[in-house]
Amino acid sequence: MKEVKRKEYYLFSPFLRIFHWIMVAMIVILFVTGLLIAKPVQVMTPEPTYTLTSMDLVRDIHFVAAFIFCASFILRIYGFIINKGDRLFPRVWEGHFYEETVDVALHYMLIKPHHASFLRNPLARCSYAALYALVLVEVLTGFAMYYMNDPNSTGAFLFGWVNTVLGGEMMTHLIHHYVAWGIILFAIGHVYMVIRAEFMEGESEVSSMFAGSKILAHTPKDANELE
Amino acid sequence: MAHVTVDPVTRIEGHLRVEVQVDEGSGTVTDALSSGTAWRGLELVMKDRDPRDAWAYIQRICGVCTTAHALCSVRAVEDALGITIPKNANYIRNIMAATLTVQDHIVHFYHLHALDWVSPVEALNADPVATANLQNTILATYKLPLTGPTATNTEAYPHDFPAATPQYFDGIKAKVKAIVDSGQLGIFSAQWWDHPDYKILPPEVHLLAVAHYLEMLDKQRELVTPHVIFGGKNPHPHYVVGGMPCSISLTDGNAPVNTARLAIVDRAVNMGRTLVNNYYLPDLLAIGNIYVKAGKTDGGGLAKTRVLAFGAYPMDTYTRTSDGGFFKDLLIRCNGVVENFGAGAWNAEYSELKAEDLTSPDGFTEGVQHAWYEYPADKDLHPWEGVTEPKFTGPKEGTPTEWKTLNEQGKYSWLKTPKWKGKVCEVGPLARYIIIYTKYVKGLLGDLTWAEKMMIDQIQAVSNVLGLAPEVWLPTMVGRTAARGLDCQLNAEINKFYFDKLIANIKSGDLSVMNSEKWYPETWPKECKGVGLYEAPRGALSHWVHIKDGKTHNYQCIVPTTWNSCPRDDKAGQGAYELAMMDTHVAVPDKPLEIVKVIRSFDPCMACATH
Amino acid sequence: MEKRESLWDRCLKQGISRRNFIKSCVTLTSLMGLSTECLTKVVEAAEAKPLPVVIWIHGHECTGCDESFIRSASPLAGDLVLSQIDLEYDHLLSAACGEPFERHLDETIQKYKGQYILAVEGAVSTKDNGIFCMSGGHTFTHLLQKAAKDAAAIIAYGTCAVAGGIQAASPNPTGSSGISMFTGGAPVINVPGCPPIPEVMTGVVMHVALFGTPPPLDGNGRPKQFYGNRIHDTCYRRPFFDAGLFAENYDDAGAKAGWCLYKLGCRGPETYNSCGNLRWYQGMSYPIQSGAACIGCSNPHFWDEGSFSDRLPKYDKIGDADKIGIGLGVLTTAGVAAHAVASVVQKSKRDIEEVENGGAGE
Ligand code: HEM
Ligand code: HEM
Ligand code: NFV
Ligand code: SF4
Ligand code: SF4
Ligand code: F3S
Ligand SMILES: [Mg+2]
Repeated sequence: MKEVKRKEYYLFSPFLRIFHWIMVAMIVILFVTGLLIAKPVQVMTPEPTYTLTSMDLVRDIHFVAAFIFCASFILRIYGFIINKGDRLFPRVWEGHFYEETVDVALHYMLIKPHHASFLRNPLARCSYAALYALVLVEVLTGFAMYYMNDPNSTGAFLFGWVNTVLGGEMMTHLIHHYVAWGIILFAIGHVYMVIRAEFMEGESEVSSMFAGSKILAHTPKDANELE
Repeated sequence: MAHVTVDPVTRIEGHLRVEVQVDEGSGTVTDALSSGTAWRGLELVMKDRDPRDAWAYIQRICGVCTTAHALCSVRAVEDALGITIPKNANYIRNIMAATLTVQDHIVHFYHLHALDWVSPVEALNADPVATANLQNTILATYKLPLTGPTATNTEAYPHDFPAATPQYFDGIKAKVKAIVDSGQLGIFSAQWWDHPDYKILPPEVHLLAVAHYLEMLDKQRELVTPHVIFGGKNPHPHYVVGGMPCSISLTDGNAPVNTARLAIVDRAVNMGRTLVNNYYLPDLLAIGNIYVKAGKTDGGGLAKTRVLAFGAYPMDTYTRTSDGGFFKDLLIRCNGVVENFGAGAWNAEYSELKAEDLTSPDGFTEGVQHAWYEYPADKDLHPWEGVTEPKFTGPKEGTPTEWKTLNEQGKYSWLKTPKWKGKVCEVGPLARYIIIYTKYVKGLLGDLTWAEKMMIDQIQAVSNVLGLAPEVWLPTMVGRTAARGLDCQLNAEINKFYFDKLIANIKSGDLSVMNSEKWYPETWPKECKGVGLYEAPRGALSHWVHIKDGKTHNYQCIVPTTWNSCPRDDKAGQGAYELAMMDTHVAVPDKPLEIVKVIRSFDPCMACATH
Repeated sequence: MEKRESLWDRCLKQGISRRNFIKSCVTLTSLMGLSTECLTKVVEAAEAKPLPVVIWIHGHECTGCDESFIRSASPLAGDLVLSQIDLEYDHLLSAACGEPFERHLDETIQKYKGQYILAVEGAVSTKDNGIFCMSGGHTFTHLLQKAAKDAAAIIAYGTCAVAGGIQAASPNPTGSSGISMFTGGAPVINVPGCPPIPEVMTGVVMHVALFGTPPPLDGNGRPKQFYGNRIHDTCYRRPFFDAGLFAENYDDAGAKAGWCLYKLGCRGPETYNSCGNLRWYQGMSYPIQSGAACIGCSNPHFWDEGSFSDRLPKYDKIGDADKIGIGLGVLTTAGVAAHAVASVVQKSKRDIEEVENGGAGE
């Protein structure tokens, strides 16, 4: 096989990377505990004692995970401020974005053998934006339910309107539940795409979320975003 | 000829308008029209709902006869799915039903009907000492000492006796005077207090009745505590398809039902019995007697020609109404139709209601000739095939949103016209009493149940008081109101009867209130139909459900007030309200107190009727 | 205008002693969840203010709300209606009917312009110009707008008046909605529930009558003192929820032990009402205490939020959201696996091509 000359691009700040892995862990915890909240497993103990599956505990884990998740987002924001590689948004205001999207899509549909090289391809950009939107819904609906145990609290003031907008708290529960599944579907696709990219191009895709850099064989079309 | 409109008719449930043609010279009513003026479309709301939730939705037809529709609904769904409920659930439902009947009748008599007979203005002329004496006389003369079988005696002595001291009546009089003097008459405003009918009773009766109006307003709330214990609230207690939600446990204080909770039910049951015996029936008979003696025996109408009932109180439990299960073991076997009772019980015709009458396509139908609905074809429909499709056509004079007169030749009401074998019928307590009495006279009952015996005893006792034969006083305005009072006394005893049965069954070790076998839709047939029957306070109620793929495909209700207040049918003629009005003499056409009185003798519920 | 009586005047006239009067104020104070320091305020309010006039009108409703009102124990509905407020118009209790009654309504509105309390029970039917709900030959919409124009305060009693209620449930055959769009400027106090708890209903009127202002309201216009908590957060079965002890079926061992009804579809976790603390019949019970899952009857759209037996809506044979989620998850995984296989094939083809071409494709 021919030698390929590769170049290293430093993309992700440590803050983004730490956030990413905290997010991964918290999403898993939130999802599992969330499902347990919706459909608790029965513990047929004759006395109301606290067991491992007590709702109280499960809910507390869910809420602690939610707070950790939200707190860790501060890291993401910090990364966004200090490091250009943390700002790889879908550039929907640029014309070439759409052509490139089609190009990548054709490759993913197995019609074209390659797609152009990117730091982060336009479809991936879209999927991350979508994921953040889903997470935002989860956070809003989650806190809207959480803080309403005291409707006079600041938290209820900040998030209570969500219940009104959605037409009632039952809707908030339902939407929170549906969107949780949406996030899990994203995760399946995302993990696959990351590994696939690694396999197809061998450009250290997976390790980039650990080390921060990608080592690319071609000059990425969006290389200018790092300047 | 005067055209008189009363809209809104008040002290009823819902939106009712009546129009009558009165001959001013003779006071004869030559034509009458009754119109339900609001329609909510609840039958359409039922489409595609979970049949297990149907009771909750359809219960909201009415908060006055609250529970009636919930009960009928679970019965209909259980019939469709073939569910037999546990004995305890049947007893508890019967207690809830009897409780409703007792409370509903008392509220009707004192708070919805009484102001047609008595006036606070007249009460001001009463002498408190004479009123106190009158109270004692009434108790001595008009109590009907009839009871059912009482297995447990939990009351040391009769509570809740009417006060009979001059001071008490003086206080009431002062209260009424203060209200009248203040100029803020509140609920007593704007009535035709100068109508001659208010002079029929002596002032002392007015004062006594006003006092009891107030007493009963305080007390009625305590009668419905069984609903609060078994169903969590009132109005609109909770039910469950397959039984009752209120588990019984004699070991757990957290359980919905245990000894302490049953004690609350027991108190309400006993209270109902004392109130009806010490207040309601004596007051009713005293007033009714004066009216009858004054020659007021009009207002019978359709009751003389045709009455219908479904039968009341399944004894223990039953399976499949549409196979006749409901009719098999009833405490009150009034499931039938009596025609021409006006000609005497012996000459009247009786037709028994059987399973075939329910399922055959023309046993029960509804027509829409004069109702604001549209049918796919010009043919009355059986409720399982029922269609509810609104078609408003506007009034005869006026605009669709500003009515002057309604069009008796065209469509004029949001009620359909229910029919039994193509004929209109009157339903209600009066119908139940006429049917049982006719069956008794004709020897069709065989061995009487205790409740049937009590009904016969009641009729005979009242006949003695009034000095008239049952066929004379029953089908009248006074008779309709009297039958409701008797029904109240009967139901108070039935309440006790089923309470005792519940206790006995729990004692035997049976704590079950729920049959969960067919709780999950996976266990249901792909398609099935059911009917639920219930003798509601206002009469024969039926719900008809068609379940398909686990969902409510069609839901139709034929409601007591639909029977009574229905618009006319070109073939079958006019319904009970219209005929009763036409059977009523009106003294002052522009103050048609007699008209609203005869209408209220039916205890109208228009939300029920139109739904 | 003639002098209007205060509650205290009325008591004097009726020979109620001051002691009894204060006693009833104490009951009221505690009922309204106020501290006893407020008692002097209540007494002052009752002595100074004239008797408030109440007009009660009915739209698309079932009268369950009136019935609940007359079940109130403290104050007793009778005391309230005959001594503490002046109920001039009500289809359920008023003696009069027909034309004189309608005329009386107009006169009352004129006489007490800007001073009366308007209680509304039932929804407004809007479809076809409102012809589905007529009274006195007029539409209810007409009546509502007429009565609302000059009201000092408006109370929307019951979920029907607040949000449309049962008749507004899908497919809403009569185009029914809550009253708020038809009331103009006057403040609306929302008192939801199907029906609301009796003492909540009377308590709200008493507050307006005594203090002359609406009670403190939350963002949805509901009196905070009665709708300030979710049932779930005040429910006596909550310890069982926290411990993970649930009734799985009606009448099973858990149900008998009073365990939590969450798995039977209980809507307590999202329902704002006084059922958990005040309860029905002065603490006697509420649906949950009687073993029945709450259906959320004080929530605006509770009729259209899925089967009452399930926390999550079920979609025919597909099942609930979790089944759909698992299904989609499996599908996605399968899709991913197929795509992976195809990608492997694609890559090997590509690699072969690359070797043959001796250069990178693109
Ligand atoms: C980040 C902020 C989040 C907050 C504040 C939050 C909060 C909550 C709350 C308060 C509940 C209701 C608990 C109860 O009913 O007692 C809940 C339920 C749930 N949560 Fe979250 N959550 C968050 C994120 C997530 C995420 C990211 C997921 C999934 C990936 C998730 C999955 C679930 C699920 C499935 C339920 C059950 C919903 C139901 O049926 O009621 N949550 N969450
Ligand atoms: C073992 C599992 C995972 C691996 C190996 C992984 C790997 C990666 C990699 C390499 C990237 C950078 C991709 C690029 O820019 O081209 C990335 C980005 C991202 N991943 Fe993951 N991921 C994993 C799980 C998850 C999960 C479970 C979630 C959320 C549900 C998630 C959410 C994200 C998001 C939102 C980004 C974009 C980060 C940003 O730019 O803000 N990842 N992941
Ligand atoms: N008609 C009627 Fe009802 C009764 N009784 C219903 O079934 O009142 Ni509302
Ligand atoms: S809110 Fe409920 S109880 Fe009140 S009128 Fe509407 S349906 Fe009836
Ligand atoms: S019964 Fe309902 S309200 Fe009570 S704790 Fe359980 S889920 Fe919450
Ligand atoms: S159904 Fe209604 S009465 Fe209370 S417990 Fe639920 S809010
Ligand atoms: Mg019908």
